[in-house]
Amino acid sequence: MIFDRPTIIELINSVKTFLINDVKNELPNYLGFKTQIAINVLSIVQRELEVGKELSSETLEMINSLLKDIDNPSIDTLAKEIQNGNLDLSDENLKKVLIKLSKNKVSVDNPNYSTYKKLIK
Amino acid sequence: MIDELSKNIESLLKEAGFNGKVSDLEPLTNGASNETWKFNFSENLVLQKMILKKGPDAPSSIALPKSKEAEIQKIVFQEQGPVPNVLAISNEKSSLKNAYIMMLVEGESIPRKILRDDTYKKIRDSLAFQCGQAMAKIHQVPLNSLNWLDNKDITQELEELYLTYENFKQPQPVFEYTFKWLRNQDFGDFPNTLIHADFRLGNLIFDKNGLQSVIDWELAHIGNPLQDLGWICVNSWRFGKHENVVGGFGEIEDLLNGYNSIIDIQLDVQQIKNWQIFGTLRWGVICLIQTFAHLLGPNNSVERAAIGRRVSETELDLVDLLFMEGK
Repeated sequence: MIFDRPTIIELINSVKTFLINDVKNELPNYLGFKTQIAINVLSIVQRELEVGKELSSETLEMINSLLKDIDNPSIDTLAKEIQNGNLDLSDENLKKVLIKLSKNKVSVDNPNYSTYKKLIK
Repeated sequence: MIDELSKNIESLLKEAGFNGKVSDLEPLTNGASNETWKFNFSENLVLQKMILKKGPDAPSSIALPKSKEAEIQKIVFQEQGPVPNVLAISNEKSSLKNAYIMMLVEGESIPRKILRDDTYKKIRDSLAFQCGQAMAKIHQVPLNSLNWLDNKDITQELEELYLTYENFKQPQPVFEYTFKWLRNQDFGDFPNTLIHADFRLGNLIFDKNGLQSVIDWELAHIGNPLQDLGWICVNSWRFGKHENVVGGFGEIEDLLNGYNSIIDIQLDVQQIKNWQIFGTLRWGVICLIQTFAHLLGPNNSVERAAIGRRVSETELDLVDLLFMEGK
């Protein structure tokens, strides 16, 4: 990277801190609520920047080995294969891929989600 | 803007026979697609607290227009169901467009408070029973004046949901799996009834004595009564209290007992679980609808953008329910 510090993550963090400390509590309830959502959105961006690439390739590798006969399978291909009935719904490997895919997505989108916290215990 | 809104409210209420002044108009916490305003209305020295519900000018693909939502509430109210009294209904020609006005029901609707504040500690244990009772009362409403509502069995529910999902061209493997799986399940063979179809915390008003009112009828239709029982068990509506299957506060047995205290039918827990799985998928697709309303316009908002990243929560709930004995 040719860019100076703050890094992207640090920049996002500064905006988040500003919203949390200086903005949120100064606003009427309904706008405070919206501000919290904006803060949550920034947290998603932060997490995806940090681990998104790694989680995507990990998941796509699993899809690759499930769909061996297909070139360059993607999320879309996996969905199509299920829809077309080309995959057995009772296949344990398919279930594993779907579990991994969902866990990895939630770990970026909302790691505080109750089901996620339960499942990583 | 507040002044203009006040004037528009006054003129709508005047048309409905209420001649008075609006004061203290303020917005309440907004849902992703609706505005709710609270205000005082004084007529001949009598002050009453009222609510304005306003939907987007361009109605969403799945929600009823506010006028229809209000019409259902009126009918449920006449049948002594737990709903606020509707006072005036607007239409496209009126300046308020997609909106209606009802009495304010005192109490709390914010899920976090109901699940965590001490005020509600005493009643929390009886809420599942009360919700069962309220659902049963709704399901008993005669259908003769509601024949204009959509009437759907599970096959139609699934078909419609699939078409909506497919339309966004964002293929979700977990959704595809669940759609396929649900096509072979038992959903119970009951005569269709009026169902609220969004019966869960956030749309329920409680006070220290318990459930007072069921609000937000925009998804109501005629369907399998078990849909309401399954929906309140969807994990998204437990607001973090995952261990309490019913709404984050109760047990399924209490919900069924409450229901059976009004309507005596044999309820099957597995059928309700299947409706819970359907409900989880349905909430996932509703998240997509909200997201694409933001992405494609005309309803842009940060809430709608954020909801796109809640689709994955429903996927995780689905794999938990389908593969890992989740509750």
